Amino acid sequence: MTSIEVSAKTVEEALEKGLKQLGVKKENVQTEILSEPAQGLFKFLGSKTAKLRLTVIKDTEEYIKDFLEKIVNIIGVNGHINVVPNDEGNLHVEIKGEDLGVLIGKRGNTLNALQYLANVVLYRQFTAPNCRVLVDIENYRSKRKKTLENLARNLAQKVLRTKKELALEPMNPQERRIIHLTLKNYRDVVTSSQGEEPYRKIIISPR
Amino acid sequence: MKELVEYIAKALVDYPEQVIVEQVEGERSVILELKVAPEDMGKVIGKQGRIAKALRTVVNAAAIKENKRVMVEIIQ
Repeated sequence: MTSIEVSAKTVEEALEKGLKQLGVKKENVQTEILSEPAQGLFKFLGSKTAKLRLTVIKDTEEYIKDFLEKIVNIIGVNGHINVVPNDEGNLHVEIKGEDLGVLIGKRGNTLNALQYLANVVLYRQFTAPNCRVLVDIENYRSKRKKTLENLARNLAQKVLRTKKELALEPMNPQERRIIHLTLKNYRDVVTSSQGEEPYRKIIISPR
Repeated sequence: MKELVEYIAKALVDYPEQVIVEQVEGERSVILELKVAPEDMGKVIGKQGRIAKALRTVVNAAAIKENKRVMVEIIQ
């Protein structure tokens, strides 16, 4: 575990200096006072500096696990949380368990909100976490991806048959991306997006 | 649910000790009033209210579990 020693005129200053150096917030370190600033009789004569040892007790991985675990517990569902850093160094969070529909929400709304909050909090607690949090619950994201790919292919066929353009229901950017990518190689249809967030939707039209 | 708002808000702000949540019970609904330090207002609201919206979405999930209507209000 990372541990550093810092000294400054006062304990508070030393703490602030150390936290800045580590890039974490007070809650994520253990503070040990090695020496108190002795004030001495005269202000400047014989005054000792404050010396602290700061040890990081929670890294990004542990912090995010605790954060989501706490939320899941308060909501009152039984979810087991597993955090795995992936190849790009991002934190991949998987929540497994039964009856987790409430955590996913309508079209993944709650899941996306959880993921968004986890990312915001990560950047508030650590100055330079250099990673993102990706949350999935019971493989919802991969299942949804398959559903969207199938939907895209079916609708592309329909557009080809009817020669009329078709509007899909509003989707978030990640989901629209899946549709665009699925139909990228279709020569006879074109996909485009229309409208403003959060109602932006895809239009599939014949070429 | 009060605990949930408190926990998430504290993780978002610079002054967690100034986070206060008050619960106002109605007949079928609950209002949770979130108070934070003035400097932290933006941190719980976010650009175009994105953080506040995400917070409300998560709290609503907890509300569904308890069969209640919950409103989260951020007050000065």
